[in-house]
Amino acid sequence: MSAGVLQITGLTKRYGGAVALDDVSLDIPRDCYVSLLGPSGSGKTVLLRVIAGFEEPDAGTIEFAGRPIVAAPVYNRGIGFVFQNFALFPHLSVEENVAFGLKNRAGATLGKSEIRDRVRAMIELVGLAGLEARGVHQISGGQRQRVALARTLVTEPPLVLLDEPLGALDANLRTRIRAELRMIRERLGVTFLHVTGSESEALAIGDRVIVLDRGRVVQFDDPDTLFERPASARVARFLNCYNLFGGAVAGASFQSDAGEFPLPRGPCPPRGFYGVRYDRIAVAPRAEKSGADQVSLTAAFVASEFTGPSLLSFFKLASGQIVEVETPLGDRAPPQYELGEAYALSWRRDGARVFA
Amino acid sequence: MESRLIKWALGGFTALIVVFLYAPFAVLAILSFQTGPEGGPQFPIVAWSVYWYKHLFGLTPPSRIAPLPIESALARSLTLAVMTMIVSTVLGVMAAQAFRTRFKGAGLVFYLIILGMMVPGVLIGLGMALLANTIGLDRHWWSTAFALHVVYTFPFAFLVMLAIFNRFDASVEEASWSLGVSPARTFRKVTFPLIFPGVLSAMLFAFTLSYDEFSRTLFTSGRELTLPLAIYGTFSVEIHPNIFAFGVLTTLFSFALLAIYAILMALSVRRARRLMIQEEA
Amino acid sequence: MTTAIVSDAIESPAAAAQQTRRRVVYWLIAPGVLWMLIFLVLPMAMMIYVSFWTQTTFKIEPILTTRSWVAFFTSETYLDALWTTIRIWLIVLGATLLVGYPTALFIGLFVRNKTLQTALLVVCVIPFWTSFLIRVLAWRPMLGTEGAVNILLMKAGLISQPIEALLYTDLSVIIGMTQIYCVFMVGPIAFMLSRIDPTIIEAARDLGAGFWRIFRTIILPLSMPGVVVGAIFVSVMVLGEFATSAALSGRKVNLLGNIIVTQVGSLRWSFAAVVGVVLTIIMGAAVSILLRVVDLRREL
Repeated sequence: MSAGVLQITGLTKRYGGAVALDDVSLDIPRDCYVSLLGPSGSGKTVLLRVIAGFEEPDAGTIEFAGRPIVAAPVYNRGIGFVFQNFALFPHLSVEENVAFGLKNRAGATLGKSEIRDRVRAMIELVGLAGLEARGVHQISGGQRQRVALARTLVTEPPLVLLDEPLGALDANLRTRIRAELRMIRERLGVTFLHVTGSESEALAIGDRVIVLDRGRVVQFDDPDTLFERPASARVARFLNCYNLFGGAVAGASFQSDAGEFPLPRGPCPPRGFYGVRYDRIAVAPRAEKSGADQVSLTAAFVASEFTGPSLLSFFKLASGQIVEVETPLGDRAPPQYELGEAYALSWRRDGARVFA
Repeated sequence: MESRLIKWALGGFTALIVVFLYAPFAVLAILSFQTGPEGGPQFPIVAWSVYWYKHLFGLTPPSRIAPLPIESALARSLTLAVMTMIVSTVLGVMAAQAFRTRFKGAGLVFYLIILGMMVPGVLIGLGMALLANTIGLDRHWWSTAFALHVVYTFPFAFLVMLAIFNRFDASVEEASWSLGVSPARTFRKVTFPLIFPGVLSAMLFAFTLSYDEFSRTLFTSGRELTLPLAIYGTFSVEIHPNIFAFGVLTTLFSFALLAIYAILMALSVRRARRLMIQEEA
Repeated sequence: MTTAIVSDAIESPAAAAQQTRRRVVYWLIAPGVLWMLIFLVLPMAMMIYVSFWTQTTFKIEPILTTRSWVAFFTSETYLDALWTTIRIWLIVLGATLLVGYPTALFIGLFVRNKTLQTALLVVCVIPFWTSFLIRVLAWRPMLGTEGAVNILLMKAGLISQPIEALLYTDLSVIIGMTQIYCVFMVGPIAFMLSRIDPTIIEAARDLGAGFWRIFRTIILPLSMPGVVVGAIFVSVMVLGEFATSAALSGRKVNLLGNIIVTQVGSLRWSFAAVVGVVLTIIMGAAVSILLRVVDLRREL
């Protein structure tokens, strides 16, 4: 028996002619926060719904806590689900919502006082103490999110699926609740499988990250590995932090429209994209000489964006392609660049990668 | 401005139409205060009195004018309306629930159900009477007429429930299943409470339609008459203002019921709005 | 692909779930469908069948003949009734449209406040809470020579003699029916009109379109589903009418509905069935023509 909480083998789902899931196989570990990342249309919500049982696959097996469940109906699976729109029961109070599963689920039920104690404890854990009697229309979005979470966690599922749970919240609420989700999960020791379309969210919140693209799993790693070594140019593009130059390897360098770059150490595919991360590029006046193992490119300054902790600047190459540079600021003031002036962009030779 | 003129013109037209709509009721209300028992159901008003209202309740000295044959007919109409309301609402909810998924032949079934409200009462009443005669079945308000009342009101209940389910967010049902609750229990505890206002309006609709139903019932109710049939019976005989008094009372009764319903709705909406508080997470 | 498929007997989980869902659906839909088949389709079929039976004075026999049909189409009275029915139907349809459309235009389009809209519609519906038959009766003291209308007109000095033609004529039936059924036009049309996004009209106005242009190209087409629904409701009710014509025309206006009632009264079943079938055909034609104008199921 595997150590993971969920094993998926060969999961395939088609809608008419389109393939939503293409032979997906995964082993989800226990007591882990897993984010499921992918562009829209990648199949991540479909995968979640198939695991939960709301939809059935055309082929494949799912094993959960040692049991095959692919033929089991939703209410027999014992997997928790948090919806993007929360799906709270509008006719019940906060406390009744949280208690609903314990009170109504099939099988042996607990005594009334036991249920009440567990519900109260969970409400306190998610930070909703004092709101038990409120109706769901009388609380804010963030509070509804917590009710949805509490409602499913109180039934003690070993695995909880979260379908873009932060999507309906305001931006600053999102970052706060992210941290709370991690804390709650760690406290309870269950596995969260959290679907998101935001790469920053997936990297911030997950202990492991699954990247799904067009119905296939293209990468399953921890966040820094994903950030450092994306599996392909598509993944790198999706992470939105790599400058990519298309071309092919010729001898010891990479030929592209933007110029010729010396190959970094390690195996390289014969053709594809030469990528260098935004935050690995240094900007200097054109005249400055670059170091021995530095790669350099000349580009004209176009525009910049001040984000607070860093400055994003955009430079245009002779070929017309835009290169983005992220300069973290710390104690320094943001550098000022002249519009249209040429600057030297440089990075360490081995700091770049070639992707297929 | 051009559209301003049009707005006023249309508004005036609408006001005229409203007068047109209320004219018969106004007339019959006025005439219900005709003096009796000699006063007839036409102008001029001989003298104003509440004689006919008293006549309805049997509080007047006996005269040659028979009281309206309404007591037992009223009871029958009410019972029939309740029976119809229950059956057609159950059928309507079941059918609308079925229509939440796509299935083969859905279009055909849809039109079959809608057909029920599109066939004029005379025709289906005739057909049912013929059917009953041929197979030797007796015609009663609680069998043949009842069947037709359901045929007529089931499509209305169905359409109301279809509209309700259209706006129904199914994710609450999925949430319930994911918590380990069986579909049957989910329907009881989640779906039904949420669609209940719709069910209530379907029931109200069905009741109203059945209570006033007349052309379908004409050939199929057998010897015991429902209220509309009893009233129709007085058509060919002399009419007296007591029927107008009856009309006024029943209208006021319906009006009172709906006013109570509206007030209750407004109160509950206002209560919910007052308690809504926006807070920080 | 190395997924192990053991045998043909094992379906994909998706297919299996599909089967269960379909079974549930059929169980849900069965009672309603059965009810309609037995109590709607069967009676109608019976009516068609009986129209071909032999009619003796007070009995009918299931010996097939077209005698009743021939009797219908060769009798001037009945053909007259047929023509009267169609005539009155079309006139009332036109009248309700004439009366109902501008009203619906006002309520659905020009009244922007939703509560006021609902209130106005409720105001239009309230008269319905008086029993249909009683309302029909109320027209008599309105239209007679000593009726309310004549009294008011004479008092206003508009006429010197009471208008005779108001009661016990075609006109009285038309007025009565229009008043009773025009609400069924106002409702659906107002509903469709209220669903028109006001910004579309604003945009058209910004582009310089006058009211009639906007009406022709935007408002009218978008209100058509409502017009069709209203027309179907009104047609169904008018074609099946007999009570209003009985009460208001003193037997002068003979609709097909009236004929059915009198024939049933004389126990001439197969003849009544013939009239019934003729009426059904007219209705079917009317509804299918109306449904061609707009695809209703999509709008619903």
